[in-house]
Amino acid sequence: MTSAEPRNHRRVGRRAFLVGGGGLAAGAAGAGTAAWALTRPAPTAPDPAPAGVLPPDDDLMREHGVLKRLLLCYREMIRRVQAGGPLSAPDLHDAALIIHDYIEGFHEGLEEGYVFPRLRAAGQLTDIVTTLLVQHARGRVITQFLLAQASPAGVARAAARTRLAAAMQAFDRMYEPHEAREDTVVFPAFRQIVPAAELTDLGQHFAELERQQFGTDEFTAMVARVAGIEQALGIYDLSQFTPEVSGYAPS
Amino acid sequence: MRPSRPERGSARSRRCLRALPAAPLAALLLVSGCGGSSKSSAGTQASHGPKVTVLARSVPGVGQVLVTSSGYTLYMFQPDDRRTVTCTGVCTGTWPPLMLPSGGVAVAGPGIKSSLLGSDPDPAGGRVITYDGWPLYTYTGDVQPGQATGQGIDLNGGEWYVLRPSGAPLIPAP
Repeated sequence: MTSAEPRNHRRVGRRAFLVGGGGLAAGAAGAGTAAWALTRPAPTAPDPAPAGVLPPDDDLMREHGVLKRLLLCYREMIRRVQAGGPLSAPDLHDAALIIHDYIEGFHEGLEEGYVFPRLRAAGQLTDIVTTLLVQHARGRVITQFLLAQASPAGVARAAARTRLAAAMQAFDRMYEPHEAREDTVVFPAFRQIVPAAELTDLGQHFAELERQQFGTDEFTAMVARVAGIEQALGIYDLSQFTPEVSGYAPS
Repeated sequence: MRPSRPERGSARSRRCLRALPAAPLAALLLVSGCGGSSKSSAGTQASHGPKVTVLARSVPGVGQVLVTSSGYTLYMFQPDDRRTVTCTGVCTGTWPPLMLPSGGVAVAGPGIKSSLLGSDPDPAGGRVITYDGWPLYTYTGDVQPGQATGQGIDLNGGEWYVLRPSGAPLIPAP
């Protein structure tokens, strides 16, 4: 199996949902013409991106949104374990698998292949980039541990649940600031140093890479999976997070 | 679109660490001299072309393993099955293959058997240096020489292991 092939049926992608057939065709064409963008000066008026194709930094931030929702799932599982409750092995496995396949196997590959090298070559944020790379590697170790232990037998003992909760907590504690720093510092810096025309091409290329890896029309299925985990954990209903403010109301 | 690679290692090894073959190749390859080769082997050490040295070094936690001339650990990818380069596309953002420069050679450094060096065609163009048939990759998680943080990681469709100088992957017993 090549890495471009779906690893299993649960792997998911969303690009076709955003792009559609016309966008995919344009993405392929863009990938074939992008080499010049590395050497030519930025045009004053770049070609507009095809409808539905996101700029690469917007694309990466949307993927961060998926990660954020999964971190909230982890947080709820941690809360339950710390309260002495059960830990659902299927929910843990499903959340960790999406992180493994979609975040660590795809999203982070884009960052490592396209974003970080450009910043390093420009001499920008080099220390932060090194830290982010180390955190990617540490996160993969934690996810592999979670996947290996996410079975009925693996969560049966209280000590094992406590260890899993600690692993999720370490992952969550690392990725909250990790993705926030990327969104607010790293991606804006990347956007500053990459010419506008190349950003357009890169957005198209990201779309094509996602189509190659995950196929078409899978974004809604992936979001549904994340929502399904949230529903199982009782955290899907957004309104439950709205606080009462009567105690804070101006007098 | 062709990304540049993280700055690490020697200039020679840097320019031969290729990323994201699904991206257009021309710009970086023209700059780097890492274009495709028609050779089916790793070339000969008598060549005057660019050289990429593979050597053996002791790395904490894994012992004597293959590394680049800059000391970065090299890995094999199980799905390659000693036959073909299967880490393509986004995979190479995380696991940059060790590329054979166009007209260049792979050189056996200390502890390495030159007879085990070779190269396989990369689906994205050029050739990836192999050892005992295994295409060789570095790992972006190794941010300095002498690390092997990718050992045993299951990612991008398969498992990744360091290689002994004998060519055997270091696969832990189940």
